[in-house]
Formats: sequence, C-alpha cells, structure tokens
Amino acid sequence: MKAGKVLVGVILIALMIAGCAQQEPEEAITPEEAEPVEEVKEKIVIGVIGPMTISEGTAEKRAAMLAAEEINSEGGILGKEIEVVVGDTKLDPSTATSEFRRLATEKNAVMITGGFSSGVMNSMMDTMAETKTIFLADASSPGHPAKVAEDYETYKYWFRISQNNGTTFAWDLADMIDFFNNEQGMSIEKVYIIRDEHIWTDAVIADLTPLLEEKGVEIIKDEKVPRGYATYDVQLTEAQELGADIIMPILAIAGTGDVLAKQWAEFEVPILLAGHDLKPIDAEFYEDTNGAAEGEVFLADGGVLSTAPPTEKAAEFLETYREKYGFYPESHQAYGAYDAVYIYKMAVEAAAEAGEEDPFNPDVVVEYLEKYSPESPVELTRVIAWYDNHALVWGDDFVRNWISQWQDGEQCIIWPSNVATCDFKVPEQVSG
Amino acid sequence: MLDILIKIVVFGTIVSGIWALVASGFTLIFGVARILNFAHGSLFVLSAYVGITFVRLGFNPYVAFVLSLLVVGLFGVVIYRLFMAPIREHEVMVIIVSLSIALLMEQALLLSFGETGISFPSLVKGIVEIGGLPVPTKRIIALFIAIIALILLEYFINRTITGKKINAASQDMQMATLVGIEVERIFMLTMFISALLAALGGLLYSQIFAITPHVAVKSLIYAFAIVILGGLGSIRGSIIASFIVGYILMATIILLGARWSELIMLLTIIAILIVKPSGLFGVEE
Repeated sequence: MKAGKVLVGVILIALMIAGCAQQEPEEAITPEEAEPVEEVKEKIVIGVIGPMTISEGTAEKRAAMLAAEEINSEGGILGKEIEVVVGDTKLDPSTATSEFRRLATEKNAVMITGGFSSGVMNSMMDTMAETKTIFLADASSPGHPAKVAEDYETYKYWFRISQNNGTTFAWDLADMIDFFNNEQGMSIEKVYIIRDEHIWTDAVIADLTPLLEEKGVEIIKDEKVPRGYATYDVQLTEAQELGADIIMPILAIAGTGDVLAKQWAEFEVPILLAGHDLKPIDAEFYEDTNGAAEGEVFLADGGVLSTAPPTEKAAEFLETYREKYGFYPESHQAYGAYDAVYIYKMAVEAAAEAGEEDPFNPDVVVEYLEKYSPESPVELTRVIAWYDNHALVWGDDFVRNWISQWQDGEQCIIWPSNVATCDFKVPEQVSG
Repeated sequence: MLDILIKIVVFGTIVSGIWALVASGFTLIFGVARILNFAHGSLFVLSAYVGITFVRLGFNPYVAFVLSLLVVGLFGVVIYRLFMAPIREHEVMVIIVSLSIALLMEQALLLSFGETGISFPSLVKGIVEIGGLPVPTKRIIALFIAIIALILLEYFINRTITGKKINAASQDMQMATLVGIEVERIFMLTMFISALLAALGGLLYSQIFAITPHVAVKSLIYAFAIVILGGLGSIRGSIIASFIVGYILMATIILLGARWSELIMLLTIIAILIVKPSGLFGVEE
C-alpha cells in the first residue's frame, strides 16, 4: 500500500514535469503578454515548430516572437495582429506530425516556420500538403526540395528559409580547401573526415568526393560516428599517423563537436580542424569548450554570424534579440524564423496590393513568395531568393555557409572576401 | 601492430577506469540492498551539473569537485529514503520508480541547462607520452583517482567493521538484524557510497569528454551491461568487466570504426552470457 502511494506520487510528479515541459513554449510566447491589447483586433496565427528543449527550437521560437512583436507594433499584417503559437516536435517524426496538424487545424496557423532535422521534416511535409499550410522551413536535406520539384501541386507550400540545400555544403567545403591552398599558400592534400552516421552526410560525401578528386585532394579516412560519440582521441591520433593535412568534421546529429574541439586542443593535434560542424556556430561554443575552440574553422550555416552580420537587418535583429533575451541567438535557426515572419508579411501585402481577393489564401501566398527569385531577391537578415524547387539560392551574394574561424574567443568570417571580417590565423598548435 | 596495441591499452584503460567506478556503485547497492537503481546514470550526470554550478557560483574547482561529490552522495540517500526504502522489497517496483526518477531528472536538467554539453574545468593541464602516444595529463590523473577510489572501496568493504556489516547485510539481512546491525542505516550508507562512485565517475568523465542530460541513459546502459557481464552484485566482477568492455570498445573503434563499437561490445557481452549466464563472477542462485 505504502509502495503504491510512493509510485503514484512519483508518476504524478513525472507527469507534472512532462506537462510543464510541453506547455512552457506556448505560455511563454503570446505577444499580447508583453503589451496589453487596447482593443480587440482581428488576429492571424503564425506557428513555430521545432524541438523546444534544444537551442535550435528555442531560437526559432524567440526569433518568430520578436518578429511578430515588431510587426504588431507597426499595425500587424494588413491590420491583423499576429499571434504566435508553438509546437514541440521533440525530434520525433510522429510527434512532429501531430503538432503540425494541431497548429494548422486547431490553432488555424496560416503559416508555420521551423522544423529542425531532415527526418522530422519529411514526415511534416505530408501534413503540410494535406492542410495546405505555408511552411517556411528548416532542415537541409536535398530530398525536401526534390519533393517540390517532383510533385509541385502537392508540396508547393514548402519553402526552405533557414539554410541552403545539403548539396551546397560540399561546394562550401571544396571552396574551403581552395581557400587554404590558393589564398593561404597551404598544401592540403590529405583530408581526414569525421562525420555523422546519418543520411545527410552521405549526400555531402557523394558530392564532395569528386570535387576533391578534381583538386588532387585525397580523403585518407572517412570515419562515421554515432549520435553522442565522444572518443575522438582515437581519430585524432590516427589522423596524425596517416599524415592528414586537415581534419574535417561534418557533424550535426552526433552533437559532440564540443568534445572533438576539446580533445583536439588537449592532445595538441598539429593539424587544422576545419569543416562543417553545427556546434562551433553557437555563440557560446568558446565558453562551452573552455576555450578549446580557438582556431577551429567552421562553416557559418544559415549565412549569419552574430559577430559579423551580413545585412543591416541582421545587425538590428541581433541587437534587439540580445536586448530582449539577454544573449545573441543561440542557434542560426533564429535568422530563418525571423525572416520567415517578415517575408510572409511581405508576400501577403504584395498580394493585397495586387488586388488579390484573399491575400492570405495559401495558393496565392505561394505565388507571391515565388517572386523572390535570383533576379529579385529580398534583403532581410540575409539576402533571400528561391530556386524553382523552393530551396534557398546559394552564392556569395545570397545565402551560403561563410567560412569562419574562432579567433581570440570571437567568431569571424575569413572567406569570401566580400563579407570577410578577419584574416585566417593558423592555430598556435598547428603552426607550433 | 604494437602501436595499435598501445592505443587500445592506454585509451581503453582510462575509459574503463571511469566505467569501473560507475558500475561498482551500481552493483554495490544491488548486492547489498537488492536495489536495481535505474537512476544511477542520472546521479552520474547530475554530479557534473552540480560541479559546474558551484564553479559558476565562484567556488574553486577543487572545492566544487568535492562539494559536488557530497551533494550527489546525499541526494542518493534522499532518493533512497523517500522513494526506494518504502518499496525495497518489491524489486520490479524499485525498477519502475527509479526509472521514473531518472526520467524526471533528465527533464529537469534539460529544462534548467538545455541540451548543450558541459565540461567540468580541467584540474590539470599538459601532455605526457606513453609508448610514443600523447596522452593529456588529466586522463592519467583521472585513471589514478579511479584506481585509488576502487582500492579504497575494496578496503572499506572487506577490512573495516562497517564494511563487514555491509557484507553481512548483503549476505543475510534477517540474520544481520538479529545480531544487532541496523540494516536500514547500512543501506543508507551503501546508497551514499554508490551515489558517490557515480558522481566521481561523472565528474571525471565530464572533464575528459562532456556531459548532456542524455548521457544518463548511455551511462546506465554501460553500467548495466558491465554489471551483468561481471555478475550482479560482484564488485570485483564489475571492475574486471569494465576493463573487458573498455578494451573491446577501443579495439573495435580502432580496428573496425567508431560506428561498430557499441554493437560489437553488446554482442560480445551476449556471447559471454550465453556461455556463463550468471556473468563472469556471479553466483548462481
């Protein structure tokens, strides 16, 4: 009997905590709480969906909230006030689908932004098609825009807003090698790759391998690591034994780029650590690694670094975000979510201006979003334009993953020159 | 070939030392109080967060290290008193309750600290060479601390009066009660030591690698696998099994690749258990 009471108590507490964890986002973000509404206005609902216990999701939520507040303070969208509602994917495809449906059908969200992780995105795209909801989305798998290209009528509501297509990561990494060899006088001939054991890196490697071969660069080892992997000492030692000129992480799902940087520094590995790892993009990465990140070269996924905003809007957004939340965006997904709310507003307003009967109609909005093409992009926190398959346009003048480096505890862009904010510095342990 | 062997031995030994601490704590409380504490991995993780919090509050890292050990040790006792003692005789219920506590703690840590990995600051710096292999000094120190802790545990259990009482309680609780041993107090002490070992493992692990709330599950699986392999309730078995697991893991990573490491480790454990179901040092009941 006593045992039963204890068990019931524990389960109740667990349920309460789980309940709090689920409800927290929505409670925290209604814009009206910040400024009491003086009169009852017509509202439109915008949804944010993502993993709300990790930085990618919270950044999306906070950024969308900020954009909504700014827009509301200037009269909303066509006089309608924006209400932001939040769904938590918990990084689980099934939960993500239910949450997307809830936002679209119960909360009547006219646009949803977010959706970190390619696998989760796949599942949500069908719900999006079914509910005909504009989805300004995260995730980078080439499979998503391919769906738009293959079955346009079904998937046309999907637009990628956060970062480039995964195939472009290979182009960025190949450019990185060119930068070191052609502009820094280095001689990178052997690359040691450490990558996620995940489908997204297979696509990157498939494209990167021939690009490197063309340059006479050899991949001496292609090591896949599982989620949560921490024993990088083995790979770091092996890279030295194999005579690698560069250790190239391609990591996101492993989630342990901080451990890699720590061990790279602790073992004083005299090889450049340069690749595409999501962790070093975080503004707090230097502190998280107790300074071990110094000298690491990475790609600024999403096209913005908090220390090197590429547009005026990005600079304003960064400062407003810090003012409101006390820190810079905790993840690059923030830029996508912020831009999503603004670009949706612009498309709806353009539709209204053109005399469309229902400018909020998703089919109409798609038409006006598609007008942001390489010929007529729009400058928000990044320069946004879409290809025909609704993937973001990649390039020096659009969005790309800037080659960046941690220097003296700060992030800076080292290439391309039109956005570079510092010169590349050979890490002490490499020049050594 | 020799260089590969050196790598397996050096890197494997250090990782094994940490897992030996965690597994010893897990098997200790089971051996004595028959409690399968599924929140053991959470105590492992909690120590790093408590330690980091003390450091952020301005405490010297050495002081924070010791305070974290004590806090987590006492937290283990609180968990035992509040949740496990009342249901100790119902083994399945203990598993369910401790699993609930583990999930609860994971959620609480996620909400409080997020998913980003945290590292306890290095207490020592520098590199030493072992057989031509560079090894950070802090790893050597971590192994040294783990070995000392395990020797002290062995001494305490087998050579002190309190340790003998723990042994007595583990062998026959009713008889121990009859001869005047306060069994409940012994169980609390055992839980304190068990939590202390998990905390020590967690602090050392977070210095070398990094800890997130999700590491709790991984550490529990490792501890559980090691303890099963060594024989439930056998501290010596757990220590030896830790090193077997550590070397298998390291050999697999080096020879086959990181992606195969856990699969091969678990397959090996299953194979050993098929041959010897009670584990290497377990006693068939």
